[in-house]
Amino acid sequence: MLRAAPGQQHAQATKRSWNVVVFSVGGMKLAARTEDVGGVSPWTESIPVPSRTPFVQAMLKRDNHLMPVYDLAERLSRKLIGSPLLCLVARHLDGPMAICIDADVPSLETVDATAIRLNGRGDIETLGSVTIGEIDVAIVALQRLGRSKQEAVRSSKY
Amino acid sequence: MSLRGRHNSTNMLVETASFLVIRLGGTYMALPADGIRGVLTQAEAGNEQAVTAAGNVYQPVDLAQRLSVAADLSGLEMRIVLYSNGRSYGAIRVEQMVGLVDVERKDCLPLPPQFQRDERNWFGGMMLYQDRLVLILNPSWALGESSGIVAVSVGQAEQMVAATPAAAGGSC
Repeated sequence: MLRAAPGQQHAQATKRSWNVVVFSVGGMKLAARTEDVGGVSPWTESIPVPSRTPFVQAMLKRDNHLMPVYDLAERLSRKLIGSPLLCLVARHLDGPMAICIDADVPSLETVDATAIRLNGRGDIETLGSVTIGEIDVAIVALQRLGRSKQEAVRSSKY
Repeated sequence: MSLRGRHNSTNMLVETASFLVIRLGGTYMALPADGIRGVLTQAEAGNEQAVTAAGNVYQPVDLAQRLSVAADLSGLEMRIVLYSNGRSYGAIRVEQMVGLVDVERKDCLPLPPQFQRDERNWFGGMMLYQDRLVLILNPSWALGESSGIVAVSVGQAEQMVAATPAAAGGSC
């Protein structure tokens, strides 16, 4: 559904610019590298799974495929906005993972690599942030989403 | 509602595993069928929590409470599954018995590695049954034999997934 144009892919390869998908969670603008996004589609009802992993407590069934749901809105303490909500598939290192996002249709943006600030946020794994339309937007590291949280929880427990 | 019958795979050459599919609240789970020793209604089980049958005492197992699942165990479809692995004996109260099913082993899937905590000990895998997600219970855990929970690291979880053929099915 969201694919970079050939020209954009070339730019990505040279790393002079990044192609990102800009989406929103509870009104908060976020971005992700296009190569970390497996697609965007309408959200369908998730299936709760008994779990103690923070923010991973459901699965989504699409056709005959199942994928875990990462509750990014809960992690950011946001309430999702709009209807119908959308599903962003993250290409996580552990396998595809569904994230429910606002109804606002994501947009594709090309950002200059030099404009990316490598400042981390404490509340979420990011690759940095960038200003898009005068808004400071965090680039979410979808590939490792939840990993630092897991480690933090584990460290505090043991 | 009564047991809805056995759903068999027709290919005799295919390796299958048998499960009893049960429901607690909105969560469907499966118990390996070879541990089933009996199924009772509340009236048949009596008022005692533990159930004695064929000389064995089946201790009460409250799966709903252990899994933090909201379940209504007061309905007419509630059943008590007498279950044993030969070492431990449990009387598992379920909201509904859904059916017996034979599943091709390739259709048993591992829990995705994103699930990283206690649930890896609770469930041996998952499968689709009548288009529903069914979580395959770990009998030892269900019977209270392995309540010491593994909190695996990300790396360990990856190794567990890589080490099992379940990544492509076969998790039962």
